[in-house]
Amino acid sequence: MVVDGLSGIDGRQIDPAVLDGKAVLVVNVASKCGLTPQYEGLGRLQERYGAAGFTVLGVPCNQFAGQEPGTPEEIQQFCSTTYGASFPLTEKLEVNGRHRHPLYERLTAVPDADGRAGEVEWNFEKFLISPGGEVVARFRPQVEPEDAQVTRAIERVLP
Amino acid sequence: MTVVPASLKATEVQLGDRLRARSGAELTVTRIDEEFMGRADMLAFVEDSEEQWFKMPALRDGDVELVRRDDAVD
Repeated sequence: MVVDGLSGIDGRQIDPAVLDGKAVLVVNVASKCGLTPQYEGLGRLQERYGAAGFTVLGVPCNQFAGQEPGTPEEIQQFCSTTYGASFPLTEKLEVNGRHRHPLYERLTAVPDADGRAGEVEWNFEKFLISPGGEVVARFRPQVEPEDAQVTRAIERVLP
Repeated sequence: MTVVPASLKATEVQLGDRLRARSGAELTVTRIDEEFMGRADMLAFVEDSEEQWFKMPALRDGDVELVRRDDAVD
């Protein structure tokens, strides 16, 4: 289980069946960031591995220079119409700081390949959760979604 | 308290300064990171407070918008 009671961008609780038993790549997203084109790669990951028990989970966050200022409707429309992304989005969350969401309490305890845990550095940081619920990898924002280290990690944990 | 809406060199920002990001969002700087995403030519200003956690990067040789600077108390 990724986390109990996680709400979607529409404000309703995400159906557990959307996430449970799948490999999940959790990514904090923003609509007005220089890295926003990573939506394209995330969408392709969803197409490539979605049928094999994988999903991207986008987490809108406005804590990085205010680059995700929109309403839930605006964020969802941007995601689907600009990039055609079909993966689920959560409600807007805080990923750092004293009011960090419990999901990110778990995620930020995990180190990246250089052994650094702690704060999310910027938009489009990626965490891979195994079907068993273990956080197995962390990729910093500069790592493209389709980078070989990401796809290899996904393929290792597919159910 | 000094109210000084002004442009300021990024390297001259001090803890406690109130800055405005391009998005219009504001932060009161409680931490200055000496690099940003591995780039030594950039700084990152962070507010980590009960009010909010917010991060704003800037080029070292660039300017930022200063909204307010509290007078130093010696």
